[in-house]
Amino acid sequence: MVGLHRIVLFVARAMALLGGLVLTVLVVITCLSILGRAANSALHSDLMMSLAPGLAQSLIDAGVGAVRGAYELVEAGMAFCIFAFLPFCTVTGGHASVDVFTNMLPRGVNRVLELLIAVILAVALVTVAVQLNEGLVRKMGSGQTSLLLEYPVWWAYAASLVGAVLAAITALYLACVRLVEIVTGRVIVPNALGADH
Amino acid sequence: MSNLEIGIYSFPALLMLIFLRVPIGLAMFVTGFVGYYFVMGSTRLPLAQLKDLAYSTFSNYSLSIVPMFLLMGYFATLGGMSQALFKAAEGFLGHRKGGVAMAAIGACAGFGAICGSSLATAATMSRVALPELKRYGYEGGFSTATLAAGGTLGILIPPSVVLVIYAILTEQNIAKLFLAAFVPGVIAAIGYMIAISIYVRVNPGSAGVRPPVPMGARFRALWDVWPVLMVFIAVVGGIYGGIFTPTEGAAVGAFGTGIIALVNGGLTWRSLLDSFTDTARASAMIFFIVFGAAFYNLFLARTRVPQELSNWVVELGFAPITVLAVILLIYLLLGCFMDSLSMILLTIPIFFPVVSALDFGMSPEHVAIWFGILVLIVVEVGLITPPVGMNLFVINAMDPETPMVQTYRAVLYYVASDLVRVVLLVAFPAITLFLVPG
Repeated sequence: MVGLHRIVLFVARAMALLGGLVLTVLVVITCLSILGRAANSALHSDLMMSLAPGLAQSLIDAGVGAVRGAYELVEAGMAFCIFAFLPFCTVTGGHASVDVFTNMLPRGVNRVLELLIAVILAVALVTVAVQLNEGLVRKMGSGQTSLLLEYPVWWAYAASLVGAVLAAITALYLACVRLVEIVTGRVIVPNALGADH
Repeated sequence: MSNLEIGIYSFPALLMLIFLRVPIGLAMFVTGFVGYYFVMGSTRLPLAQLKDLAYSTFSNYSLSIVPMFLLMGYFATLGGMSQALFKAAEGFLGHRKGGVAMAAIGACAGFGAICGSSLATAATMSRVALPELKRYGYEGGFSTATLAAGGTLGILIPPSVVLVIYAILTEQNIAKLFLAAFVPGVIAAIGYMIAISIYVRVNPGSAGVRPPVPMGARFRALWDVWPVLMVFIAVVGGIYGGIFTPTEGAAVGAFGTGIIALVNGGLTWRSLLDSFTDTARASAMIFFIVFGAAFYNLFLARTRVPQELSNWVVELGFAPITVLAVILLIYLLLGCFMDSLSMILLTIPIFFPVVSALDFGMSPEHVAIWFGILVLIVVEVGLITPPVGMNLFVINAMDPETPMVQTYRAVLYYVASDLVRVVLLVAFPAITLFLVPG
């Protein structure tokens, strides 16, 4: 069980890091887009147009300007990031909860509560993943594309689905862990560390 | 059961789930789903909603500010700026009575200008300031309480993650909200410093004396904080000046603090990966709550509870200010055991229509901004109210020698300062609004 836990944690962490990488790329794209937009309006300015019209025009023609479709890339990329972040947050017990009242309950009751919560979370995340897949199928059928870059919208759904499915699997795994813990009385995965905010 | 009744019954059900430690996002999702089922008589509609809801929530362009601000905050903690800020503040304030604690507050305020999270601000500044406070003989509980309170400036002073969420929920302009938060944030820092000077007078011996720093050294230390100032001006100035969108501003901020951390040597391979996983955890937590809240609110809107509730409150005929006071009081109570973001996501869809329906003698936009800042402050008070203020726990854990009770006792001065400020801002909306154009 401990070996299995290491694998789940590894995959979740890898997804989180991949999401972090994509987030960084989005940050850079956005910054480049701002720079490009500023450069573009500088080239369009009266000064540049009268001083070096040829140079200015050729730079504009070469594509100096805002990154085309940066907005769409941020939207699609961010959805991927958040879905990719979900497994790590789930396996490390990062979801915000209120534990003041349950702390007063006996240990056994808390154990059962933990199992119930893990099961509900698993059902919810599986539902989310299944319905996201339904949405993906629908987008594939409709052939809808994004506005500027004209990539098929279902690509973004498919990328998100990876994280959603892994999050669902993680939650199912955690529910099993809680069950085993109740049966054997051993603690395999310590529970929630509290919320960051 | 009528739809309205289902909607009303969903509140106690939701609260019960939350108090049974069901993660808040999950509790809202489940309550929304079950409620939907009761309203529609089948699971077809809620399931159909889910085909796009999760994706559209997570891909929301305005919300993408949140992970970027979080990343910015983690980079900021790596950049050594907390050290520079504290040194500069200490140079100017350190020799006064209680001055090192005031310097910690000042540095927290400065750090809040490049970090949108309370906990990160409190934790980062503690690493720098706690040893210094100890060195100059500041009482343990006083020191930890100071940093816990100072941390709340992280969210109050823009950029602020909570304010972004409020703006999205209420469809307000993020730039204007940031601008409105600025003066109350500065007042908060000053109010905390006043609380410190009262504390050291009431409790003699709680703070040691520190020799003054020569003027030249003070200004040299001040010069070292220019990267903070630059990032702050670029982000907030750029957003406000309309040069870029808030999301673009957040990207600029993350990029800027990343560069600072890289240049100062704080950004190593290892700490970069840690920043990613920290951002991942915090972002997923926030977005999951936002998603649960979005789903719950879809259901709630169908039951017409928000409209009916606001109609009912208006018909009761209480003075608007009374209603506002009751709402703020509810936040203070909830804040004793719930985190700020969850509180906002849980309550704003219900309270905001109520407040909007009341006549405060201001334009609807001004009411929304004013209310937003007030809510931001009262939910932040929750971070430092005993028994379960999150900041208190985190900071107290960093100083094992200080018993929690000491921190509790000292923090009451800061809570009092917060309450005075809330009353001030309620009584004089102009303090919040005078910077905000029409």
